[in-house]
Amino acid sequence: MTALYTWIGGLAQQGLLPSDFQYPFLIRGFLCVLVLAPILGGLSHLVVTRRMAFFSAALGQASLTGVAIGLLLGEPLNAPYGGMFGFCLLSTLAMVYVKRHATLPPDTLIGVFHALTLGLGLCLLVALTRQFNVHQVESVLFGSLLTVTDGDLLLLVAVGALVAVLLVSQYNHLLLDSLSPPLARVAGAEPAYLEYFFAVLLTLSIVVSLKIIGALLVEALVVVPAAAARNVARGTRSYLAWSVAVAFFAGAGGLGVSTRFFVPTGGAVVLVVTGIFFLTLAARSMLRRRLA
Amino acid sequence: MTDGAAELLLEIDGLTVRRQGEALLDDVSLRVRRGSLHVILGPNGAGKSTLLSAVLGQIAFDGRIVVSWTGSGAIGYVPQTFAVDPTLPVTVQDFLALTRQRRPVCLGIARPTRTAIARLLGRVRLSGLEQRPLAVLSGGELKRVLLAHALDPEPELLLLDEPSAGLDKAAVRILEETLLALTRAAQTTVLMVSHDLEQVRRMADHVTVLDRRIVADGPWHEILGGASGLEALPVAAERWGVRP
Repeated sequence: MTALYTWIGGLAQQGLLPSDFQYPFLIRGFLCVLVLAPILGGLSHLVVTRRMAFFSAALGQASLTGVAIGLLLGEPLNAPYGGMFGFCLLSTLAMVYVKRHATLPPDTLIGVFHALTLGLGLCLLVALTRQFNVHQVESVLFGSLLTVTDGDLLLLVAVGALVAVLLVSQYNHLLLDSLSPPLARVAGAEPAYLEYFFAVLLTLSIVVSLKIIGALLVEALVVVPAAAARNVARGTRSYLAWSVAVAFFAGAGGLGVSTRFFVPTGGAVVLVVTGIFFLTLAARSMLRRRLA
Repeated sequence: MTDGAAELLLEIDGLTVRRQGEALLDDVSLRVRRGSLHVILGPNGAGKSTLLSAVLGQIAFDGRIVVSWTGSGAIGYVPQTFAVDPTLPVTVQDFLALTRQRRPVCLGIARPTRTAIARLLGRVRLSGLEQRPLAVLSGGELKRVLLAHALDPEPELLLLDEPSAGLDKAAVRILEETLLALTRAAQTTVLMVSHDLEQVRRMADHVTVLDRRIVADGPWHEILGGASGLEALPVAAERWGVRP
């Protein structure tokens, strides 16, 4: 990785790339954005179509508890992945199971889990203050470029590749199931399997994104790119393309804002992505007025 | 198997479906002849859609459902409701491609799939609508898109759940003409749910009147054909306001 950073830094010094690319942590952050955009953008349009925005928010906040559990079990402060993956996967499976077997509306049930995991996370974090300065976990809450390591980047690439392959294998069934579960069943899909399958893919993607975007803000990159894309897309292909493009520009723009104004990366990314959303909303309104 | 049995595509015996202790269908038995257009008629809450769900194997039930396939063995299904989010950017072509290619439709639609879709849309008289978003289709157009979806692969059994619900007269007429032309040509067996008596008179070969149990069953002219038919049934008078 050092050779790659040196080469890119050299290009920046020659003026072929922006001067920010002299710094390895920024190169690493940009590479993370390059990987995150297709993963989160690709998942985003299915999250919105399957009405799982609140589920994603609950999952992001469950990771807070996962971090606390990981640290209490002795994981390193900058990589409590065991706790995050373990607790988030457990929460995901529990949420989907209860949603499928209870008669209450899904948003009510997810609200219960949301409250439970957040409350548990806060209690555990207070317990953690006896071992760590709680500000040290801020990077997981709000996202921070400075704490992203080469190991995080490699994990992101590996999980991203796995998610992409699995998503491609089931995409058509997932979309048909979002439109009409009975038609999906007739076509040979199993809606229960698809629901667990997609929730697990979403969980994996959210957990590996946390160090860049932050637990409290990751839902923004899982929901807003598709919301913005819907304002301008005219078919499934352009829906995906716009979702990925919005996620990329939000990530890259957020990095720029974060380094220029010394604000948390997650917050900066969210500001940029919501800015793009309102731009696309305005573009849609103008287009409609012109066509009317 | 007897000759009579060979003519049957679908045999349902003692079908009972319960939800939270309540019987949605209670000991329902019926026979559907191969190549016929068989209508399940009944008021709201009679268990018509539940019956189709049981035939599709989508709900748990007691009893026996036997389908005697001799052809493609494919089932086509047009659901009663298909709610489309008004901002969803999925075109007619995208939707029809979902079950016709392995490649994710968001990565593009293969040329053979596009050709097959154009042919399908032609069959339901919707040629040229490939790029139109589902969300802007009229109710009648959407039902015909769902019918096109159900027609490929060529179904041996086509299940239609109130295909004309919510449509105006012109849309109903086009849908019925399309449906009759398609089914007569392909010898497809159709099991259709309806609560529209006039539609049943126009289309049905055979009628089963359902109100959680079988109320009447026979050729349409016997069931709907006069004082000895549907109008004489207490359930019709009470629940549909049909006068003897």
